[in-house]
Amino acid sequence: MNCFGAEIDGPMAVIRAIHFAATAMTAGALIFRAAVAEPALRAAKQPATAIDVQIRRVAWIGLAVTLVSGALWLMLQSASMSGETCREALTSGAIITVLNETQFGLVSEIRLALSVVLAICLAHDRAAWSRWLSLGAGLCLVAGLAWSGHAGSTTGDLGTLHLTADALHLCAAAAWVGGLVPLALLLASGRSDRGAARAQLEHDAVRRFSLLGIASVATLIASGGINAWILVGSFRGLIMTGYGWLLLSKLCVFVVMVAFATVNRFHLTPQLALAPQSAARGTSFEQLKRNTIIEIVLGVAIYGIVGVLGMQHPPVHLM
Amino acid sequence: MRHTSRIALVPLLLWLVAGQAQAHAMLDHAEPRVGNKVASPPREVTLWFTQKLESAFSTVTVTNAAGERVDSGKPRVSGNRMSVSLRPGGSGTYHVTWRVLSVDTHTTDGSFTFQVGQ
Repeated sequence: MNCFGAEIDGPMAVIRAIHFAATAMTAGALIFRAAVAEPALRAAKQPATAIDVQIRRVAWIGLAVTLVSGALWLMLQSASMSGETCREALTSGAIITVLNETQFGLVSEIRLALSVVLAICLAHDRAAWSRWLSLGAGLCLVAGLAWSGHAGSTTGDLGTLHLTADALHLCAAAAWVGGLVPLALLLASGRSDRGAARAQLEHDAVRRFSLLGIASVATLIASGGINAWILVGSFRGLIMTGYGWLLLSKLCVFVVMVAFATVNRFHLTPQLALAPQSAARGTSFEQLKRNTIIEIVLGVAIYGIVGVLGMQHPPVHLM
Repeated sequence: MRHTSRIALVPLLLWLVAGQAQAHAMLDHAEPRVGNKVASPPREVTLWFTQKLESAFSTVTVTNAAGERVDSGKPRVSGNRMSVSLRPGGSGTYHVTWRVLSVDTHTTDGSFTFQVGQ
């Protein structure tokens, strides 16, 4: 596959994109539960059962896809590193060498252990400690991806800054894009309930998610700026390389997502405070649900770009 | 409206699939320096790269003017530096060929020469 002038391994790009998106969905669901759903449910004095089950289901599905795509990524990466086919990499011991002797392998092993911890916590989710541990494991699972990418190979003190920025970038993206899935489910789940308590819950949840979104966008801009400064290095690098064009494409989709989020925050969310039966509230609510779905699609597109971006040589090494 | 959107996508798709192959200059510098002349055969060749390397999948071979391998085999890798010891191989043009895997899983390769003798 040729992308912006560079040969790209198509299956690897797809698997990477799926893995990044699934990891973000897993962590995002748990961040959403801790920062949005639980506080909103407490404030509205609503039972948590139905929403909690949905959030856990999202986390379980995300975790399952993360594990399967992670195994496939390891297999494809081992074949790529050893110059063998996938079958040969499995039988020749190359995959064991990758696991035991490379940073990618070590990171994969640590992230597998985090997945097991997360699965145990999700299976025994009643205790508060278990919920906090699952949130921590989810965040580490997504942040750990930084060590398997460009940030993991940057040398010296700049490497520490790069890793920190990239880990924050991944967590902020998970909080926003990953949190959109449980938000969409929460908004869809109360279709038949037009009561005041339900309306308050929806308003409070959307307001809290918007605040989380603002924090995420600020983190994404700051950390993305550092990443771009380290990896692109110059305006020439941005416009003269495939990496730069892909980054600009990602930036364009990000700007559109921020535009939708701004409309949601400053136009639609205040309308949810209106009387539950009012037509204006109903219209805004439907528009909000539609915008959430559009944002999810745009988020998936960003992860598609990320799948390819991580496989390109950064412009700073080419200029 | 729908047709307009599709037409607008065409340049984007062309832009995605078109393009020219890029060169990847991952070697930062080397000792002996690339293309330079040294008076006597060096005891080792050291290469510095722009990123940290994986020792398990990084190799370097050095041949002398007669085309014989003069490197000791397995290179030593530390961070973004890779070294290999050399046996005495006389004077003339030495060829260094490297293939490295960076920690971010990119494989790159390349070669350069240096001169030994007066």
